This record gives sequence, structure tokens and C-alpha cells, in this order.
Amino acid sequence: MPGWGQLLCRAGGRLLAGVPGGPVQGAGAAAATGNRGPWCSIVRHINSTTWWDEHLSEENTQFLKQVTAEEYRAQTASKLCPLKDEPWPLHSWEPGSRRVGLVAIKLGMIPLWTKNGERHAVTLLQVKDCHVLKYTPKEEYNGKTATLIVGGKHSSPFYKPESALEVFREAGVPPKQKTTIFKVSDNAIIKPGTPLYAAHFRPGQFVDVTAKTIGKGFQGVMKRWGFKGQPASHGQTKTHRRPGAISNTNAGKVFRGTKMPGKMGNVYRTAFGLKVWRINTKNNIIYVNGSVPGHKNCLVKVRDTNLPTYRDCNKNPPFPTFFADGEEELPEDLYDQEVFQFTDPSVTYV
Amino acid sequence: MEWLVTRISMAFLSRRLGLLLTQVNRVVEQRHFSISGACSAIQKLTRVRVVDNSALGNTPYHRPPKCIHVYNKTGVGKVGDKILLAIKGEKKKALIVGHRMPGPCMTPRFDSNNVVLIEDNGNPTGTRIKTPIPLILRKREGEFSKVLAIAQHLV
Amino acid sequence: MAAACGRLLEQAGVRALARASAARPAARCRCFSSSGLLRANNGEPTKFQPPPKPVVVDKHKEVAERRFLSPEFIPPRGRTNPLKFYIERTDMIRRRKVLNIPEFYVGSILSVTTADPYASDKTSRFVGICIQRGGKGLGATFVLRNIVEGQGVEFCYELYNPRIREIKVLKLEKRLDDNLMYLRDALPEYSTFDVNMKPVPHSANDEIPVNQLKVKMKPRPWTKRWERPKFNIQGIHFELPKEMMEEAQKWSMPWIQFDMLREYNTSKLEKEIWKEVNEELKK
Repeated sequence: MPGWGQLLCRAGGRLLAGVPGGPVQGAGAAAATGNRGPWCSIVRHINSTTWWDEHLSEENTQFLKQVTAEEYRAQTASKLCPLKDEPWPLHSWEPGSRRVGLVAIKLGMIPLWTKNGERHAVTLLQVKDCHVLKYTPKEEYNGKTATLIVGGKHSSPFYKPESALEVFREAGVPPKQKTTIFKVSDNAIIKPGTPLYAAHFRPGQFVDVTAKTIGKGFQGVMKRWGFKGQPASHGQTKTHRRPGAISNTNAGKVFRGTKMPGKMGNVYRTAFGLKVWRINTKNNIIYVNGSVPGHKNCLVKVRDTNLPTYRDCNKNPPFPTFFADGEEELPEDLYDQEVFQFTDPSVTYV
Repeated sequence: MEWLVTRISMAFLSRRLGLLLTQVNRVVEQRHFSISGACSAIQKLTRVRVVDNSALGNTPYHRPPKCIHVYNKTGVGKVGDKILLAIKGEKKKALIVGHRMPGPCMTPRFDSNNVVLIEDNGNPTGTRIKTPIPLILRKREGEFSKVLAIAQHLV
Repeated sequence: MAAACGRLLEQAGVRALARASAARPAARCRCFSSSGLLRANNGEPTKFQPPPKPVVVDKHKEVAERRFLSPEFIPPRGRTNPLKFYIERTDMIRRRKVLNIPEFYVGSILSVTTADPYASDKTSRFVGICIQRGGKGLGATFVLRNIVEGQGVEFCYELYNPRIREIKVLKLEKRLDDNLMYLRDALPEYSTFDVNMKPVPHSANDEIPVNQLKVKMKPRPWTKRWERPKFNIQGIHFELPKEMMEEAQKWSMPWIQFDMLREYNTSKLEKEIWKEVNEELKK
């Protein structure tokens, strides 16, 4: 992959070639910067804000965007078709092995009915452009577990520093909006660059979903911690939603971790043990029981649950992951046994 | 002559009084049940409507029957919960058979907070329930079988 | 919604007109072209051109083309990914292929048969007037109201719940309002309907009749202050003193109609979705 820095240089060169012929008097400043030469000679001592197309003309910007988009499409397509060089040796699942997870987008919630007429609310999680980026062996991480870095949802390379793009270049995938680390067992490691799909999970199994909760800003103690506040009347003066005492005289200090007003939300939270009801393999959508932290369109991290209660349900998953070019042919929709499918006739009770 | 006039006027009066009374009665009938819109589920001090034909629930009294306790953990009574009523200066247990607050989908919502008076052992006090009763009560058939037996209309 | 429907109908009408006017020039064209053909035969021989077929416009049928899109197909405005709505739509269409969900409006009288594990014959039937339609997508609901044994009963049904066995329209009509929740505060005769009501036949070609009924209310207090302008109720015959009606106008917000951010024009979206849904349903 030619770095986009090179591309910028090319574009800059075109700009430079274009300028001397044209009239200079119009946009004096722009022409001056153009004459000075675009990239190498600008030395910035103050770390002021800048944007990547500061010195590019409109059409060059468009050109760059187009070229990178094409390149990324080609990259993802190359990963889609059967892997050119062999994947790493596959192992079979055994109790205690931990698989990699996914990065997904939260689409929203819909109802879902089971065959006995009960209604459940489910969250739709779309797996989009999810790739394994990097493998860190045990020795390099912490000496206990190996890890895999997984990224999801393409993003623009122009707003990321070169150092951040390195991991993507090594994996041979476009830059991602979100990357996460999954601790995996040694038999579950996957080659970087492998795409991950929703069929990685199967209906009937249970997952944990981690995401950043919706930010609420600076909130008082009643909303943030559920304190009771004070009565509205009975001689209250300016004391209705205040915390009251925060410590006592004997202690003579405020203990750490005392519940006080402050920023609420926008922290990572995990919803544990959510059942997977249905998988749409065409659009790569996971139907997960109940609600999930975060707002709509936020990026969430999905992994097999580690709760001992559901250990039996998570047996024999696709290991180490589902490969699209594998032998397994999947139907468009995978359902849990209990889910009512809309092609079936209405529910009847005997 | 004079007594005749007085008698006629008396008759007139009594007739008018009767008319007035029926009007009042109709208003009372309309206003018989709870009109509190804000708190539609049944909690303490909710005015309720007794829908069975028991003597206690149907004789008029200047104070409507009120819930004074809900026998569950939340303190908010829904269909199938038992409550304690203050009715005609007595304490009496009752079973909720419908409320104004919408319950889950596909279950009925009624225009009044309906209860059926029951004895302490769970037997209904009345012998007949005319107003419709939700079918969902059958879910706990064992407890309410006697109440369901006297119900005439299930929706 | 009624406004949107009105718009749709209007468009349908305009289209019908356009077609009729398009057909007339076509007929005129035909005679022109036939004369042209004659002339060509006299001159040099040209390739035979079949005269354009006369377009027969059945006026009756043009009116029949009433586009009805159930309101739950129109996605709410927001930043949700359209893919979500598409996925919901596919499920809705699948369900509609199994269960016939007819066209109905707020104010229509319906009978709904549901599977109920607690009923004696495992099904229960309810007849009532639709007073509200709510929800979008798979979670769409409608509320039926009737008075049974002097007791007002309402049912909130989910349109796509698999427990629903049958939805039957007994009388297809609209009312003056899009939401008839005020029937709760109206006199009971306005929400009383016979359980054994015979379905009123309604041909698919006709316009949906609008029932101009104005209901009388119970004495105040009501659950909502229906006289307030924010409800914009047409279907109530208010018997309030004049001062009270004037007092209610204090809450009118005449500037709201100029708020362009509140506008949500779905006509384009509706057309697309209608096309998609119809094609799928015909398969």
C-alpha cells in the first residue's frame, strides 16, 4: 500500500505545476503558499490546529478521497476472497478455550416473539468491516494470555496520525474507527487481516456486550446516584436536591469514593449474559436479547460470555471463527429454536 | 279549598323532588368510580369500584370505597393482586380485576378500577359478577377459581 | 397521517388526470400518424410502422388506484441507520404474506381474533372502534375500544404479534380526528358497538368515507383538556361556556406552523416504500 503521504505529495506536485501559469493576483495567500511548496518546507513550531487538505485545491481533495476509497475497497475485496496464503493452523474447540470477539454497530431495538407468543425486546448489532488487526503473543502481552486486536467500521485515514495507521497497514486493511483487544487462548489465534462475521456467534449462545454509555454531562447527586434529596416544603431553604452530609466530624475528612455530583455516563459498561436470538448472515446482524449500553450507531464490543451459568450453552462454537470461504454454507437467517419465524402460521394454543 | 291547594303543591314538590333525586342518582352513578386520572394503577387511597353483587359493595354510602393497603411488594396493585379496602367504615379484602392503567399489550384496559370483595379465605362475598373480567386471571386459576366461577363475562 | 393520506389521494387524483390528458393526445396522434403513413405509401416505401395502440382509459379503474401504505412502514425521523428499517420491513412483509392485515384507519370498526391460552376455546374475539394507531415498524400497535356490559374496555393489539389470528374490518371509515382518545370522556353510546355486527360492504374503488359525527362529552373533568388547541379536536361537540373556550385559546401556539424544523415530509419516502412493499407482497 502506498501511504497517503505519497499521494499527498503527488497531488501537491500537480498543484505546484498548475499555479505558475494561472493569474496570481486573485487569491494571493493561496498562491503564495502554493509557490512556497506544499509539504516539505512548512515548518510549524507551534502545535496549532491544522487540517489535512489545508493546502489542497478542491479537486485534489476530491481526487485523494476517491483514490483512497478505491484502494480500501480493493483491500477489503482481497480479504473477502479465499485467503491467498494459508490461514494459521486451526485447532478444535475444547472446554476452557476463549475465542475472539467482534466489534459491532448498535442499530436499534425491535420486538421479537417466541413460538409460545411471548414478546422479547432485542437489540440489533451490525457487524461491519470487522477485521483482526494484530496478534500479540503471550510473552509480549503479560505472560499469561495472548491477545488479538480487532477493529470495526472503516474510517477516514486523513484525520489519523501516521503512527496510528501503522497497525492497519501491517494487517493490510483500511483504518478502523474502533479497535479493541480480546484476550484469547492459544488455540484460538487468528491471522491478522481475517474478516470476522456475525456468524461467529450462533443463536442460542450467550454474549457480553461492552460499550460506552450515553453521556449525561455534569449531574447532581439525585440523578447520578439516586439519592433521595430533601422535601419540597416544610421549611426547606435552598435545599431540595442536595446530597446532605458527606462525612462526619470523627472522620474529619471526606472518604474517597464518596458519591458526589459529577460527570455521568460516557463510561464503559458491560451487559452480561445476553442471549443471541437470531443471526442474519447476509447483512451480518446479531439479534441480542434486551438492551445494550450506548446510543444508536455506537460501536460495541461483543464477546462470548464467561459467566459460569451459560457455559453449557456456549459449547462447540465455530472455532476459532467463522470463515466465509469455508465449507459451511449458511442460510440467510439463523434462528434460535424458540423464535417465531414470520413465515410460519400464527400461534395457536391447544 | 286550601288543603287541596296545599296538597297539589305538595304533590308537585314531591314529584320535582323525585325528578331531582333521579338526576342526582344518575350523576352519582356516573361518578361512582374513581375519577383520579393521574394515578391509574391501584395504590393506597385509590377509590375503587366494587363490581360484584354483594350487599356491602352495592349499598350507597357517602364515602367511596378506598384501598388502604396493597398486598404485594411494590405497593402498586395490578390485576390479580389483593388489597385491603375501607368500605362503609369496615375493613374488607378485595381482589383487583381490572384497572385504568394499561397493562401489557393484548390485555384489556378498563375505564374504572374494578375490584371484587373476597373473604379472608379467598371466597368471593358476592354471588355474581356482571362486568367483564380479564382472562389473564385464569393464569392463577387455583387461587381465584371461585371468583372466576361467578364471573359471567370474560374478555 | 390523515394529512399525508390526503396528500397521497390528491396525488393519485392528479395522476389520474394526467393519464386521462395523456390519453387524449395519443388518440389525436393516431390519426395524424395514419395520415402520415398514407403519405409515405404514396411516396417511397418505408418500413411499416404499426399505429400506436389506442389507450383505453377506464375512469372507474383510475379512481380505484388508491395507494394505501400502512403508517407503520414510514420510519420515524432520526439518525437511525435505514438498514434497520429495511430489515424490519422484510419481517413485516413476511408476516403480511401469512396474515392478511387489511387497510384500516382510526375510526374504523374492527374485529380481532387472537389466540389466548386462557380462553375456553383458546381464541378470543373483540369488536371495537380503532381509537389510536401507534408505533413504527414491527412494534406497531392499534387500540380498540368498546363498551361491554356498561364497562368501557380497551385492547391494545400489536399488529405483528403472532398471536393475532384474524383482523377483520367491519366498517371502513375515518373520523374527523386522527386520535379518538377523547371517546373515553365521551358519553358511552358513542363507543358502544354490537359484537355481532355485520360487516358493512365497501368496494375497493370508493373513497374512504369520513364520518362527520360530533360526539357529546360527559361533564368535566376529563382525562385531558380536549378544548385546548394543541389537540385540535374537530369531533367533539363542545358545550362549554364561551369564556372557557376563549380561555383555552391562551394555549394556542400560532408560531408552531412556521417552525420549519418540525416539518417531516414523508411523501417521497412513502412512494419508495410503497413501491418496495407492493412488489414484495405481490411475489
